[in-house]
Order: sequence, then structure tokens, then C-alpha cells
Amino acid sequence: MNWLGSIINLDGYGHYLHWHFILVSVANLIVVGLMVITFVAALFLPFPGKGRRKENR
Amino acid sequence: MSKKAFRPDVDAPEYKGGYSPYDIIKEGTIAIVIIGLLTLLLAVFFGSPDEKAITVKAWSNAAPVDFAQTAVEELNGTSGTAGYGAPYNHNATGQQLGPLTLGKWVGVHIPINTVRDFIIAPLESQPSLPGLQSALAQWKGASTSVKNGWVANYTKASNNMSFSNGQLVVNATNSGPVPVLISDLTSMARSGALDQALITGSGYYTTDYTKPLLFLADSDYFPTLAAKQHLTGSQWGMMNETGQYPGQAWLWLYTFWYQVPPFNTSPNADVLIWGMMMLLTAGLLLVPFIPGIRAIPRKTKVYRLIWREHYATHE
Repeated sequence: MNWLGSIINLDGYGHYLHWHFILVSVANLIVVGLMVITFVAALFLPFPGKGRRKENR
Repeated sequence: MSKKAFRPDVDAPEYKGGYSPYDIIKEGTIAIVIIGLLTLLLAVFFGSPDEKAITVKAWSNAAPVDFAQTAVEELNGTSGTAGYGAPYNHNATGQQLGPLTLGKWVGVHIPINTVRDFIIAPLESQPSLPGLQSALAQWKGASTSVKNGWVANYTKASNNMSFSNGQLVVNATNSGPVPVLISDLTSMARSGALDQALITGSGYYTTDYTKPLLFLADSDYFPTLAAKQHLTGSQWGMMNETGQYPGQAWLWLYTFWYQVPPFNTSPNADVLIWGMMMLLTAGLLLVPFIPGIRAIPRKTKVYRLIWREHYATHE
């Protein structure tokens, strides 16, 4: 049933960053980074349909 | 009558501007379709964590001496479970919040006697093995002080325990039936029969793995495996996942407290941190009522960035 497996295997031991008492996995850091990028993009990207709304006014 | 002063953060001025049409159903549908596609793609590319379940059989075959020494701790009452307190037994006060003994209030509603539940009852479920029935009869017929003496002698000897040719090797004297009990329990565990014996008793189909999990947690083997995967409490384990998968990053604040004084050395860390998080959650819920905090959105003006189109033409 190997063909049912994922394309990228993430079952090996994870990579961790350690600084004083802070210990965080690289995977978690990537997810947090993506969330921050999404938040900043939501602030700065223009609303879709901006032109249409102006016409309706 | 004097006009009441306008209070920022509390009073809202009446809106007199224009309105734009907005289709929330359409936006919701688009969001669901995009998230659905993303989920499907991530599942195809990365799959999900697939750690094999750790059983008592796997543990006792990988580390038979650790298993036998943990069984001795269950017998002499020094294991984590034996001294845990509520909800398993009355042997400790449990978690306390100041003078409030919250652990005791919960009560012993999952009673576990480690000698009976982890050692004697599983052995009794075995078909007649040579020597086992008489060892069990000898154990049951002895007084508590005699049993304590046997267990104390065996505990001393078990520090130099080894495993050779499928058998435990312990140089124990004056230990009564204890060497037979521990040796047969180890054989039972290595065959897989102990896993079954520990989960039965709650009906024909059972998903109650409390006993094998507690037994495993008392070992050195299980915490060592958890530490390798960065899953223990002192490793921010609450927000980590097995393998290279991202974990529960949103639990960062909850697990953060476990890393810093005084919580990282407190025996009551669980309840203290729970109390701290309840306080912070109440603070978050009450933001609109807390002067100063509730003014942050108005003063940081992030809303003007979001609605910059509107504020470009209105003030």
C-alpha cells in the first residue's frame, strides 16, 4: 500500500531550535511565519472587487 | 440639560456614510473551497503523523529489565501511579491551589491498586503455569508485613537485575514468591498477554487503555522515547508533534509557563498554570471593559490601515 503514502515523508526526527529556555520546532516556526505573512498580506492587499464596489456607489 | 460627553471606546457615533453591497455567502463558499483544496493538497504531499502505538509487549521486549524494575516499583508502591493520589488512589494530596486541595476534591473515581491491578490480577488470568499458582497462593496467604519483607529484599536485589537467554537474572534471597511473580509477569508481557489483561475488564469491546498507559508511563523506556521526540513537558512538548510535522503552535502560551520559574519546579504546576490561563482568558473576554487595554485598537489605528480606502475620503 506504499502508493497511498504521502509524497514527502515527514516521519523522521524533527529539527529543533534551542535558545535559553526556548525550544521550538522548525515546522512550528514555518507555520507561525506563514500565519504572520497571511496577517500582513490581509492588511496590505487591496480588497477583491474594489473596482466593482466603487461603481455601485 | 447638559449634553453627555462622548466617551471613546464606549460610545459609538451614528454612521451617516454610504453602504456597499456585500455577499457573505459567496465569500464563505470561496473560503471553504480554497481551504478544502489546500487541505487536500497538503494531505497528498505531507500525509499525517504515523507513529506506531507503543504496547507493553513492545516495551518489555525492547527493555525487559526496565519492565521488570517498573513492575517491582508497582509492587513496592514507589511508582508514579502508586504515589499519584486522586483520581487513582489516596496516596498523595495531589494538585493544590493555595489551601484548596483540588486534587482531593476530584476524588478517587478511577481506583487503581498497582499491586492488584498491574501484577496479581493479570497473573491470575493466566492458565496454570508451573510454579505460578503456588506463588500466587503463597502471596495471598501471607501477612502484609511478610509481603513487605519479601518485596524489600527483592527490590534491593533488583538493582543488579539483568536479562539473559529470555530469562530475568536476579540474585534475590528471602523474597518468597516475588521472583516467580516478576519473572512470569515479564514473560506474560513479552508474549503480549499483559496488554490484553490490562485492558479487559471494562466490557467486551473496550477502548479503556488507562492501565497499560499508566504502567508504561511509570517506566524509563516511555519517557525516553517521548524526550527523543521533544514531547515532554519541559521541552514545550504540548505544542510539538511527532516526526517533522508542525504541532499545536497555538498552545505556546500554555506550555510557556511550564518552562519558567516558579512553575517549572512546582509540584502544583498543572493547577497553577490552569489558574493563570483562566485569569488571562477572563482578561481577554473582558477587554471591552478594561480602560487602557480597550483603547489599544483606537490608539494603534490598525483599523485605519484595513479601511484605508474609506479613511482616504472621510475623517
